[in-house]
Amino acid sequence: MNGTPHTLVQIPPGVQCFVGPEARRRRAIEDVVLSVFEGWDYEEIIPPLLDYADVFAGPALGPKTYSFVGRDGSLLALRPDFTSLLAKIAAGRLRDRPAPIRLYYSGEVLRYEPPKAGRQSELYQMGLEQLGGVGPAADAEVVAIAAECLDRLGLTGWVIALGHVGAFGAILAGCGLDAAVLEELRNRVESKDADGVREACARHGVPSGVAAATALLASLGGDPAVLAEAEAALSPWPAAQGAVRELRAVADALEDAGLGPNLAVDLGEVRGLDYYTGMVFRLYAPGLGFEVGGGGRYDGLLARFGRPMPAVGFMLGLDRVAALMGRQGADPGTAGPRVESLGDMPLGKALARARERRKAGGRIRFAADGGEAVRPAGETAP
Amino acid sequence: MTLTVALSKGKLIAGSEALFRRAGLPFPATGGRRLVVATDGLRFLFVKDMDVPVYVEHGVADCGIAGRDVLLETGGDLYEPVDLRFGRCRLVVARLAGAAAPPGSTVRVASKYARVAAAHFQERGITAEVIRLSGSVEIAPGLGLADCIVDVVETGRTLADNGLEAVEEVAASSARLIVNRASYHARRDEVARLIAALRAASTAPDQVAPERSARA
Repeated sequence: MNGTPHTLVQIPPGVQCFVGPEARRRRAIEDVVLSVFEGWDYEEIIPPLLDYADVFAGPALGPKTYSFVGRDGSLLALRPDFTSLLAKIAAGRLRDRPAPIRLYYSGEVLRYEPPKAGRQSELYQMGLEQLGGVGPAADAEVVAIAAECLDRLGLTGWVIALGHVGAFGAILAGCGLDAAVLEELRNRVESKDADGVREACARHGVPSGVAAATALLASLGGDPAVLAEAEAALSPWPAAQGAVRELRAVADALEDAGLGPNLAVDLGEVRGLDYYTGMVFRLYAPGLGFEVGGGGRYDGLLARFGRPMPAVGFMLGLDRVAALMGRQGADPGTAGPRVESLGDMPLGKALARARERRKAGGRIRFAADGGEAVRPAGETAP
Repeated sequence: MTLTVALSKGKLIAGSEALFRRAGLPFPATGGRRLVVATDGLRFLFVKDMDVPVYVEHGVADCGIAGRDVLLETGGDLYEPVDLRFGRCRLVVARLAGAAAPPGSTVRVASKYARVAAAHFQERGITAEVIRLSGSVEIAPGLGLADCIVDVVETGRTLADNGLEAVEEVAASSARLIVNRASYHARRDEVARLIAALRAASTAPDQVAPERSARA
């Protein structure tokens, strides 16, 4: 027994298993978050675990998707993402429902992650989508819901970093750059590497004004007041200015609603998942090196499924939330309920008493061999 | 809470120390054996150069100093707000001086930078067999382990001493300040002060800055 374990007990990389208190903690987090979603009148949707692979096709998720050939020869995939799946359902099964459609979900997604420390392949996401949600009202609502979730979970010091993917594209639109160069620049902006942006722009013959504006996206961030500065600096690109103005409307609304202290602006948030088209945000908190969640506007995704309409959504990673709560010492409450002892009894009688106690809502541990009798759950034998 | 800075005791250590001193920031004595050193205002971690981005990406350190060469290889999700303008070198493909391109269709490449090397040849449509080594890469072509190497060069002396010549540049590198994404936002004021102090010090490399109070 002490030697090499049986080969069948090995686990594949990237999957997790939660037992007892840990599982209870995760359910408690889920309960809090889903009650917030319900409180804002979003409806639960339980989508399938697998679907046709082309639902998820795209440069960001495509390479991370576990796909396989179905019995009928079709290419299927384990869902790497809920948003695409919900967009498809809104355009298909729910096509007759008037917009906006408010939906939330909670469940696993699977993404292939190269074997590297700290990344799981199986992720548990809790999120919502407002399909058909328009303008700053829908954007601000979604961000406010995300904020309420973090608040109700007892987390502190969290920051909503707001960005907009539109300015980047608008500034570089007229430069005729190919996709690989745009991707390189997007990466440099996302890394806040303003020097790298300027260097890459020079290398690819991007005009100096455009280079300076792109570098500005990499370096402008922090207090929402920088948006006024950005708007002025981007005046040669009306579409980019429009993007900043949109972001300002959302930031102003959130500030007026009392979220100012938690708000940061980050014009370098330009990457996200490739379906984002407008406002994007990520949620950070002290104690965890990664974002706990995020979201954004994706006005082009539903058109892929034949029902063009704007949409906005966000998600929280349960694994990240649980890790963060552990680091911040915020306990969602995992103490087992009080239980009572039934003492030694003949089996039938003990079982009858146990059923009685259960009917009354008590929590018991039933030991049928008579050795332990019925004792409070969670207590060890005397 | 003080900010934590990850550094490596490798080739960037002297430049890092000079930079911190110019910025008027505390810096621990580098001769000691302690790997976690708290100074007045900052905590320092000393780790392997390839591990600096790992500590920062996971948020164990809020920021760090790493070469662009290392960042290309480790590929972490980090902010790189400042080019610190020291530790300049080039990542190159080098092979035995005077040797022709390998005759076969597969190139054998030895490198510490296995990911960078693989991507470089892949992008050019060349099949490469990448052999990951931990050091002394320069001897690989001469001994027949590989047709060429991908490695960093500063002056080219080591290449020349081992009978190699650079035939292609893969990337230029210099030291970068790297910052954890969550720290950047959730500890904005402290991180912004540190970035500003190091940026100012990096753009004035030849003069010793007067006493600064930019303690993070």
